[in-house]
Amino acid sequence: MGLSRITSVEELHRHLYAALQLEHATIPAYLTALYSIHPGTNTEAVHILRAVAVEEMLHLTLAANILNAVGGTPDLTRPDFVPVFPTFLPDGETDFEVGLQRFSKEALATFLKIERPGHAPEGAPRTVRRPKKPGKSVLHASHTGKDAEEHFYSIGEFYDEISRSLATLHEDLSHQGRTLFVGDPARQITPEFYYSGGGELIAVTDLASAQAAIRLISEQGEGKGKAIFDYEGELSHYYRFEQLLLGRYYQTGDKAGHPTGAPIAVDWKSVYPIKANARLSDYAEGSELREAAFEFNRSYRDLLEMLTRAFTGEPRLLTAAVGDMFRIKELFLRLMRNPMDGTGTLHAAPPFEIASVTEVRK
Amino acid sequence: MSGDRAEFEKFLGLSEVLTGFTKFRLQGTGQGALYFSTLTDVVGQGTAGELLQAWSGVAAAAGQDEGKLERLMRSEILSHEKLGPIARNLIKLWFVGTWYQLPAAWREVFGTPERDRSFVPAASSYVEGLLWPTIGANPTGAKGPGYGTWADPPNIPKV
Repeated sequence: MGLSRITSVEELHRHLYAALQLEHATIPAYLTALYSIHPGTNTEAVHILRAVAVEEMLHLTLAANILNAVGGTPDLTRPDFVPVFPTFLPDGETDFEVGLQRFSKEALATFLKIERPGHAPEGAPRTVRRPKKPGKSVLHASHTGKDAEEHFYSIGEFYDEISRSLATLHEDLSHQGRTLFVGDPARQITPEFYYSGGGELIAVTDLASAQAAIRLISEQGEGKGKAIFDYEGELSHYYRFEQLLLGRYYQTGDKAGHPTGAPIAVDWKSVYPIKANARLSDYAEGSELREAAFEFNRSYRDLLEMLTRAFTGEPRLLTAAVGDMFRIKELFLRLMRNPMDGTGTLHAAPPFEIASVTEVRK
Repeated sequence: MSGDRAEFEKFLGLSEVLTGFTKFRLQGTGQGALYFSTLTDVVGQGTAGELLQAWSGVAAAAGQDEGKLERLMRSEILSHEKLGPIARNLIKLWFVGTWYQLPAAWREVFGTPERDRSFVPAASSYVEGLLWPTIGANPTGAKGPGYGTWADPPNIPKV
């Protein structure tokens, strides 16, 4: 029952839900690094981080379109949807977790691992098993059993398996005179509802459009094979981040690891010293910081509810949801600009404890 | 360094009373350190120190008595020939994001500091001006409400 070979529509739904979780889970991490940068500084890093974060939002929307197309229901309000950071991602790596931390070389090192282009060596199993660590947050959909979790070797392999199963399930069902693509087309988020958000939105109604959506997600993110530019001629996320560590832009014709374009200046010091993986409980009861951190969690929960409605038949709500994102950005920045105590050595940050907010509401 | 920090905390305390916004909201604009250095750069450490000293005296004398705090703010700071115009400039700085050249009458008496001209300390100062949340609007051309949201009723965060 793990995330491994997909043999049924039900398993496909589960994998696509995991894809939604996966695409979303990168967003708090990227935004935390992005917004920790002092206003007006590090313009190149800001541009790169922002563009990648927005593309993850596109990927989330594309994953919702695919899930809808095959008759599933994207639900961003499930208590397990937002992980407790730091968290593992279901990409098979055991050497890193994704946390919420300030813009730094360490943060970028994690981002490179998230976006690492990776395919299992020839002949190796396409999934890896690792022992379950008690008390560690792991995206729920990746659970396989009591003792171990099964994971794909990389995010690329994860999407390859979804792509493969879309084709075979489509073929199998076609032979039976049925179709895999039973979803209501009215649930698709089409470009008219999605303004300039990291690329073209693809409405998914058949195998070809589903495969195109998968290809956009996985190649924009992790690249394909050894290519540093994707099929649209865009640099994949891994190499965009790597530019910041190497201090130089890639240009056409460059080999991986050896950019030869214009230099990039990075000012690692112009960053708010925010607390990594902040929790609501880090802020004193009754303090304004606590209130603001709770307000952040609540607003984010409301946003996920709004997105869920937009993804389940009310696509027009996406416009309003984007408006909410701008307001949430203000709450985000306001927290990060505030020191946690009088010394100013450690600043506040949003906790992203969404599940706890849901409990409060009940 | 800790001395600077203490002076900065005084600056924030004074700014709270001058603007009506809490320290949390003031720091949330990201402009606090910039405005503090703007003050000291323009009028000099000595005069800035006088203002903060006067504020400390007012805060200590008023204690928790809000009525007394307001009276003392008016009599000891806002009505003070030298400190009053500077305090009013801080209000304008926080709300509009512009340091305005001090009034001619002030400059005739207390001198013409080289950097005392009207200027915007940073591009973000305009965006973060407290006037926007006060009037319930987004700064024109910034803090975008999101493409197409103008088709919906305005949704402005509470002050």
